[in-house]
Amino acid sequence: MAITFSGGIHVDGCKGTSTKPIEDMPAPEFVALPLQQHIGAPVKAVVSAGDHVKMGQVIGRNDNALSCPVHASVSGTVERIETRNSYIGAGKTEFIIIKNDGNYDLCEDIKPLEKNVTDLTCDEIVNSVREAGISGMGGATFPAYAKIQSAIGKATEVIVNCAECEPFITANHRLLLEHPMDVINGVKILLIALGVHKATFAIEDNKKNAAKVLEELVADDEMFSVKLLKTKYPQGDERQIVYALNGIEIPTGKLPADVGCVIFNAETCASIYHAVVEGMPLISRIVTIDGDCIAESKNLRIPLGTSYRDIIEFCGGIKGNLSKIINGGPMMGTAQWDLDATVTKGTSALLFFSDKYEKKTQPCCIHCGKCVSVCPMHLEPVYLSMFSKASVLDKCLDYNIMSCMECGCCSYICPGNVPIVQYIREAKDKIKAKQKK
Amino acid sequence: MDFLKVTSSPHMRHEDSTRIIMIDVIIALCPALIWAIYIFGVRALTITLVSVLSAVLFEFLYRLIMKKSQSIGDFSAAVTGMLLAFSLPVSVPLWMPVVGSFFAIVIVKQLYGGIGKNVVNPALAARVFLFLAFPSEMAAFTKPFEKLPIFANTDIIATATPLASLKEGTAPSQRTFDLFLGNNPGCIGEVSVLLLAAGALYLLARKIITWHIPVAYIATAAVISYIFPGSGMDAVQYVICELCTGGLILGAFFMATDYTTSPVSAKGRIIYGIGCGLITMFIRICGGYPEGVSFAILVMNCLAWYIDKFTKPRVFGGAKKNEKK
Repeated sequence: MAITFSGGIHVDGCKGTSTKPIEDMPAPEFVALPLQQHIGAPVKAVVSAGDHVKMGQVIGRNDNALSCPVHASVSGTVERIETRNSYIGAGKTEFIIIKNDGNYDLCEDIKPLEKNVTDLTCDEIVNSVREAGISGMGGATFPAYAKIQSAIGKATEVIVNCAECEPFITANHRLLLEHPMDVINGVKILLIALGVHKATFAIEDNKKNAAKVLEELVADDEMFSVKLLKTKYPQGDERQIVYALNGIEIPTGKLPADVGCVIFNAETCASIYHAVVEGMPLISRIVTIDGDCIAESKNLRIPLGTSYRDIIEFCGGIKGNLSKIINGGPMMGTAQWDLDATVTKGTSALLFFSDKYEKKTQPCCIHCGKCVSVCPMHLEPVYLSMFSKASVLDKCLDYNIMSCMECGCCSYICPGNVPIVQYIREAKDKIKAKQKK
Repeated sequence: MDFLKVTSSPHMRHEDSTRIIMIDVIIALCPALIWAIYIFGVRALTITLVSVLSAVLFEFLYRLIMKKSQSIGDFSAAVTGMLLAFSLPVSVPLWMPVVGSFFAIVIVKQLYGGIGKNVVNPALAARVFLFLAFPSEMAAFTKPFEKLPIFANTDIIATATPLASLKEGTAPSQRTFDLFLGNNPGCIGEVSVLLLAAGALYLLARKIITWHIPVAYIATAAVISYIFPGSGMDAVQYVICELCTGGLILGAFFMATDYTTSPVSAKGRIIYGIGCGLITMFIRICGGYPEGVSFAILVMNCLAWYIDKFTKPRVFGGAKKNEKK
């Protein structure tokens, strides 16, 4: 029987793209690469307008802070550097716009590994991962090198997050079906870096074919195991995955490493493999393109910095009444307002929605308690939203508002159509602002 | 594609809305209504319709006069009207459900801010109001299959409900199975335990209600009546009589589970259910009235928010309580 956590919701998976193989999308004429695609400090541009850059060349870095270098995803000329609003909600950020020369000249710094992977030291691996600019590719975009560093000596198990619990997204599923060895080899590198001898693939039971592929490939390696999780949202959340696998609740305010686990997304592992073995920095990623308003839904490998406009064109255009473009999954993704926004390291999906998934009634809480029964953190969203609406921040803290991970189960299930998560976010922002003072 | 909508995530919603939930409750009440029409005659339907229509009308008028957004579309007023009718004897004059609906909708529900804001269950509060204001009409129970006029006022000889017999210390005249089926005097919607249970199962299957409140309520009532059986009666038979009569099943599944007036957490709901059971049996055994469901639920309604306050679930990961500065 598949294992799981308590709470959560059963959402229609809408995983229609799970049968669509990954296609390579050709790079467009212009790419726009933001200098903040990760959690941490933004990087600084190391090229200026008019410079010629090669594919994979570092164009932005910041070695003194928690950050991931940004690389050119095409070869060409730096057209300009401009400040725009960050499309992932990080305020203003600088974008480097590169005109593609169509030659795809690879930067000469990119060289395959010359020695055996097993001979690598931890520092060498961490350094390669850092230089490759890899951040968590499930959507949280935490720099991967920092995660490895923080888990050294603490973690005894590497968990590979293949849950992909958000509806619509099938990027990891396709990756596991088509390039499972990339992921497995990436995990092996992580095991070497961390000095750990246990890796668990955590995969939801709606991806049994991928689980089977993994099981066959790791069958004679006792370090690896594949565990099926119940298909339930938010199964892919770190805290819920650790609980489902090991029955351990990560104490509030602690990290998975504090209970001996470190969790990497499947595509992050594949990127680590490419970075360490091939020397290839993170310049493209798999993105699921879906939704009821896109002509052809696809799984695409897209060069970073490709604009939504180019993607829409590549996928046959918009059909129907487009209401929202969502960067990420429908539960936690960010609604976008600009077709010039681009694919970044954290873009796992791009969804084009009409208003058919929304409720149109006036928000009104009827105190039904459904939000309480679905909250995976066992909070009482009904009271959190009530106190937040009234700006009673002390009460919000009494009800442990800071434990909320904004997974959206409460808003999803609410029959009264109350935007509970929105209220919670507002209160959390106010509390954080107050604490800074 | 002129403009894109930007909202806070999530961008998908479950299809169940307040309206769908209320319609589900109405569907769940229908088997019991059909039984009531069969056993008490078409007058049962008349009373129900008058009650529902007047409840909806009062809600409409109140919102109109007070210049508030219309809310009759959520069907909660219709549910209130239906539950009110279900807790009236079939012989009441037709103006009585109208008065009851006014009390329920305007005084108990809307004056407190409308759906989701009322403190006590509107239908039950209205029933208790009518019960205290018009005691003789509200106690005029008729025998099953008595011919009653569909519209005109009735002039009937009241008969004792099974619960009233229990109160007098005698076993009800009906067979226990008839009590379960609903072949006994009582309020319009409370008699058929079988069909109410069928409706309740539907609500449970649709996840409109959870098992906590009804199970805790009924189990508590069962245990208490098993410990203190009526004189000269078999304990088990007494338990069944207590559970099948006096609207306990209707109350446990359809009224105590009212969202607005009951706690939200599982633990809170169990405590609330036990409280309902204890007060119901306390009134039935020690009080002056034969039945105690309405009063018990109303009392627990008033405590619901406090129960919530003291039954906060343990946060996943065990967050500490907020330290006051």
